[in-house]
Amino acid sequence: MKLISRKTLLLFFLPGAIFMSAFLIYPIITMVIDSFFEIGLTGNRAFVGLENYIHAFAAGGFLKQLKNTVVYIVIAVGVETAIGLLFALFFEMNYKGNKVIRSFMMVPLMIAPLVAGLTWKLMMSSSFGIVNELLQRVGIIADSSAILWLADEKWSLLACCIADIWLTTPFMMLMILAGLQGMDNSMVEASKIDGVNMLQQIFYIKLPVIKPVLLTALSIRIIDAARTFDIIWAMTEGGPNSSSETISIIIYKTLTRYNDVGYASAMAVIFIAVLVAFTIVFMQSLWNPKKKIG
Amino acid sequence: MKKKMEIGKKIAIGLSIILTVCWLIPYIYVICCSFKPGAEVIAVPPKFFPRQLSIENFIGLFERTDVVGFLVNSLITAICSTIIALILGSLAAYAIQRSGAKLSIFLVVLVLCLKMIPTSSIVVPIYELICKLGLYDTKIALIIVYAAINMPFVMWTMLSFYEGIPTTLDEAACLDGATNIQTFQKIILPICKPGLATAFIFTLFLAWNDFLVALLLTSTNAKTFTVGLAGFLSAYNLDLGPMCAGAFLFSFPVMAISLAAQKYIVQGMTAGAVKG
Repeated sequence: MKLISRKTLLLFFLPGAIFMSAFLIYPIITMVIDSFFEIGLTGNRAFVGLENYIHAFAAGGFLKQLKNTVVYIVIAVGVETAIGLLFALFFEMNYKGNKVIRSFMMVPLMIAPLVAGLTWKLMMSSSFGIVNELLQRVGIIADSSAILWLADEKWSLLACCIADIWLTTPFMMLMILAGLQGMDNSMVEASKIDGVNMLQQIFYIKLPVIKPVLLTALSIRIIDAARTFDIIWAMTEGGPNSSSETISIIIYKTLTRYNDVGYASAMAVIFIAVLVAFTIVFMQSLWNPKKKIG
Repeated sequence: MKKKMEIGKKIAIGLSIILTVCWLIPYIYVICCSFKPGAEVIAVPPKFFPRQLSIENFIGLFERTDVVGFLVNSLITAICSTIIALILGSLAAYAIQRSGAKLSIFLVVLVLCLKMIPTSSIVVPIYELICKLGLYDTKIALIIVYAAINMPFVMWTMLSFYEGIPTTLDEAACLDGATNIQTFQKIILPICKPGLATAFIFTLFLAWNDFLVALLLTSTNAKTFTVGLAGFLSAYNLDLGPMCAGAFLFSFPVMAISLAAQKYIVQGMTAGAVKG
């Protein structure tokens, strides 16, 4: 039986679809078109074919930013996953008050990324930053300005990663925890009877069971890390000497500081294409769309 | 054996408490700094806790910037955009989920892809569009853009909720003579309340926390709190005290709401991931 007529379905669908087309899909299409033009300050356009794309991959293009983005993703997501897993295993245990502790753990989850960035900028400043003060007290560094977190090319990207890790590890923990809680407890019980130790239990039983959740969480985080803007902008604005500049930052800078709309669009198109491809490939292995539609 | 387990458990509980406290230190530090006198925030060497409590930073914050105006802008744009995204998104998602057509698979994938698109890359054309429409530096521009950007998220969340509602329910309502709109309004939506709540809270926070869109689309009239807060970095470079006070003021309501509505947040984060 056909429940809802096509007309009504369309009626339900259209307002949202039109709205999204006008303010989300239309901009994307104009961006793709813009990427083939060189657009001057006054808005005069000249068709340049693939020149913007070639520029992006040539020397002085966005290869450095691409590398930074990849490094950022690997460090931030890698550490988050490790710590998140550890936390999840701790919080999985049942005891009085574990819900309360878990709630507090989730506090950073909803903080604005900008605020997280500003917080860490304050903590990592060279002379009055609490991080260096702590490191000095512990004896890791000799002098409170030995590590210039935000002003040294070696450290700036890592500093941004740390802020990101602080902000989003709770998310990772939450996802893994959800996976762990959904698992069948009899498996753990059975393994205990078989005399399996704690580590074996984690690596051979728990991890395989939560693998799908873990992979989904990873893919969400990889994409989020790739598009991080606020944290880096708050902490370093991509500096010093573009050492912490990621693709998001360079696109924004190209648009606002150098006013090169064509080139910015070309970079954005490449960026979106990569992320969408990643999403589709990653999701397809986990998630079957046919299953979703009844 | 059992005793050993008990001790192990106690150690683990202790560790998890310590870990949590450590994790919250940055935020506690910001709160401490916001209640320090201005000079103590940038004192060398820094102290964690304020030596004397002071509201100097809050006074500085209110004097130097239009805090109230920024907060109002943030609040209005967040709430209005959330309502638009929620209404249009939940309707469209229902249509996609119930149509059963081949096209709907494509649409679901499209929604997912739109959800993954980085804001930083689409702000370029959005900026042009908003300027063309003459909406630059208005609240309407922010409301429209937030609603459009967050709609895929609403749809994604709602899709997984609709899926859990059997079509027999629609059928029953239909047989009883309800129109489609009535079915949606009186049968489907009440069941989806948790889903709607999840989508609402999330979208609200996404819009409230946004920085990039507001940075690009506003200058004076519609400036939101995040942009105002970032202003402390350049214009008043060493005014870190008021900045902390602002950060505290801005994020405290979010904390309070997220602690109270945690159930929905957990649902939103794990939506579609666990049920897969």
